[in-house]
Parts: sequence; structure tokens; C-alpha cells
Amino acid sequence: MNHQLLFVEDGIAIIRLRGELDHHATQTIREEISQSLYRGTLRAIIWNLQELHFMDSAGIGLILGRMRDFVPSNGQTVILHPSETMKKIFQYSGLGSYVWDTSEEETIAALGGILNGQ
Amino acid sequence: MDNEMALSFIAISENEGLARMVMTSFIASLDPTIDELAEFKTIVSEAVTNAIIHGYEEDAQGIVTIRAKRNGRQITMTISDEGKGIQNVEQAMEPLFTSKPESERSGMGFTIMESFSDHLSVWSEPQKGTAITFTKEFQPIQSKIVMGER
Repeated sequence: MNHQLLFVEDGIAIIRLRGELDHHATQTIREEISQSLYRGTLRAIIWNLQELHFMDSAGIGLILGRMRDFVPSNGQTVILHPSETMKKIFQYSGLGSYVWDTSEEETIAALGGILNGQ
Repeated sequence: MDNEMALSFIAISENEGLARMVMTSFIASLDPTIDELAEFKTIVSEAVTNAIIHGYEEDAQGIVTIRAKRNGRQITMTISDEGKGIQNVEQAMEPLFTSKPESERSGMGFTIMESFSDHLSVWSEPQKGTAITFTKEFQPIQSKIVMGER
């Protein structure tokens, strides 16, 4: 689909979502993301929504689902660049505190990783 | 100028995007702000998705209908299906309640629809269907200041 998944050294995954994230889109995206994520040992997922033009509660389901998978390994979740409307949706859903006001690079640095070749 | 429309489609998830696109065109003449448009599209998406996956279990046969009216700067819209209905509307509207946790539904649909609309009402009867009606008022267009032109 329209997203891009990158692995940063030291167990950090960056998911750059693009286009529109609704129930229809999550049906394919979920499968792809889950398969890729289970391949490595992860300690953090960064969701970069800069190029995401639309998201409804299906996006909440997608992110919460991946967080649930990470509980055993104490994985961390960070959400970057949501639109104002998406920010409200995260707040209503109790995910407001996962939204960081940093760039991708700053986030990776704060999590203690190195972004190669970017 | 006021306007009225109706749109019907079968219950497949692909039509969630279709519904958003058509309804975006319907309100285009109101010149909504980016946030107003995003909120409006989110309401449409939540209601249509509910009809498709809860009303009809994505059976590709049931018909979802959207009827909308534009009255000044107010939009009134009803999204209806003749699907299985909601057993307990009050419970369905509670934040985080979902009848489909296995398919990663967040249970936030009604909360989001209520928050992004000015008024929302739900009619539902088991085995008969569901209709969600909401209104949303759009802010007056800001007067545009043209500088450096004559």
C-alpha cells in the first residue's frame, strides 16, 4: 500500500503512513506491518503521519493493536505530525500522550538510536 | 443556495472512500476550513464503516444510503442501513465499546462522531436497521484581505 516501513539500528521501526487510513486501508496495512514487525526485536515504533491525509478510528485500532503486541517486550510508541483533527482523535482515544512534538531525527535520538543513510 | 442529495452503495469497504469523496464534493461550495472538512469526512467515514461492517458484515449485498441537505451553512445528513441493527444503542455509544475487538475496532466511532458534529441522533432496531442523523454547522467564510493589488 501507500506506507513505508524503515528499520533503524537498535530496534526502532519507523512507519510512514501515506494517503488515507480508513477501515478499508487497514485491512491490508495491518497484515503487512505485522509481518515485518515480528521479524525483528523491536523496542519502539514511530508512526510518522506527516503524509497521511485522512485517518478515522480505524487508525486508532491499528496503532492500539500494535501497542498491544508490544506490551510483553515493553515497546514504546511515538506518534509524529498528526493533523489537528487526528490529534483530537488521539486525545479522545487516550493516545494524546504518545504524540510527540519532535522531528523524526530528534525522536530517534531521544530513543537512543541512529538513523542510517537518511 | 440550498441543496439536497442521496447516495446508495453496496456494503463493501471500498465504498468508505467513495462516500467521503462524494460528501466532500457536496459541501465544497461552503468553502470549509481544512479542519471542518477533516471533521466532516471523519463523521461520514465512521458512520458508513459502521453500516458496512456492523450492519451488513461486509456482505456486498446490503445497501447503505446517505441522504444529505444543505441549508445555509448547515449540513444535515442521515446514513442508514437495513442491516442487523444495534442491540443496545446506549452501550454501543460508550467510548471504547466494540462488538468486534477481534478485528481491532477501537470502539471510538460514536465518540468521534458526537465530538465532531453539532447534533447526533441514532435510531436502531434489531433486524431492521440503523440510521444515524447528524448536523454540522460551518463557520462563515472569513472576509479575504487582498493586499498589494489594485
